[in-house]
Amino acid sequence: MEENMNMTAERSLEIITQQIAQSRRAVSKVTGQSLFISGICTMCMAVVIAIINFILINHAIVGLGHLLWLVLPIIIWIFSRKYNKERAHAPVDIVSSLVAKTWSTFAWFVIGYFIIALIWGFVAARMLPPESYVASRIEVTPVIVLLMGMAITITGHILKQRWLVIFGITAGLICFVWEHFGMGQTIVLFLSGEPHLSLSAAAGATMLPCLTIFIFALVGLMLPGLMLKRQK
Amino acid sequence: MFQPLDPLLHSELRLAVMSLLISAEEAEFPYIKEQTGATAGNLSVQIDKLSTAGYIEVEKTFKGKKPCTICRITPTGLKAFEDYIQTLKTYLNIGK
Repeated sequence: MEENMNMTAERSLEIITQQIAQSRRAVSKVTGQSLFISGICTMCMAVVIAIINFILINHAIVGLGHLLWLVLPIIIWIFSRKYNKERAHAPVDIVSSLVAKTWSTFAWFVIGYFIIALIWGFVAARMLPPESYVASRIEVTPVIVLLMGMAITITGHILKQRWLVIFGITAGLICFVWEHFGMGQTIVLFLSGEPHLSLSAAAGATMLPCLTIFIFALVGLMLPGLMLKRQK
Repeated sequence: MFQPLDPLLHSELRLAVMSLLISAEEAEFPYIKEQTGATAGNLSVQIDKLSTAGYIEVEKTFKGKKPCTICRITPTGLKAFEDYIQTLKTYLNIGK
């Protein structure tokens, strides 16, 4: 590009349009890559935790694998730095900034809630009788899916993707009801035809929250990321 | 009667730089160079002109051990760009 001072008005308009579009594409690509990496990491983590929980339940340890969720932000950060080299020079625009802030807010709330639930679970298990403990236990997955649905919906609004908005609202609410009322466990119990969960049925039930998170990460993070990356 | 266009913005490279910065909070020198396809020398000269006019602010910093130049648009630059667009509209007979 030269220092041409004799441009026509049309040429000026062309330069402005072209540069703004080019800048948006570059920023979208970087945002897409971040969402894609976060999605892949979350999906892999869901699979790993499901396997760990499945193995541990055979040793009468329930849900200990869920502690690994705390490491997820660090893993996402490491992979983002490694595979998002374009981020080094790409500028920050309002869209990428809003998407990043939405998901970082989600991450802070989830981590905070997870830690509070863990501490309360630890304290309540030692202080309360078993029936009171069960009643007062803080359920983590229903709230996480609700928050995740909200983050997906906001991302959909920012990216102007109606399907993402619809998915965020419906999946967030359906999965909240599913997890809160333990419908997965009820179905497993119903299918097994026994009054109490057998070991294998319980193992299957502990893997259900991981499946929910896996689906959310696929549709809410990985697919929009892929879509932004491939945007022409 | 047409108003004259801001001569500082009515240059391909300077207009491209301003257009890039308008949609971003800030941008690094290598990014602007890549997007505009300009040479480093020419781009430096044009950035200096925009900076002297107060249209953009240039921050020279370090990224690790490497020097890094960050450009961002100023309120004066934003106003000048808006005025340029308004004038441009009269030339194109739109936005009456």
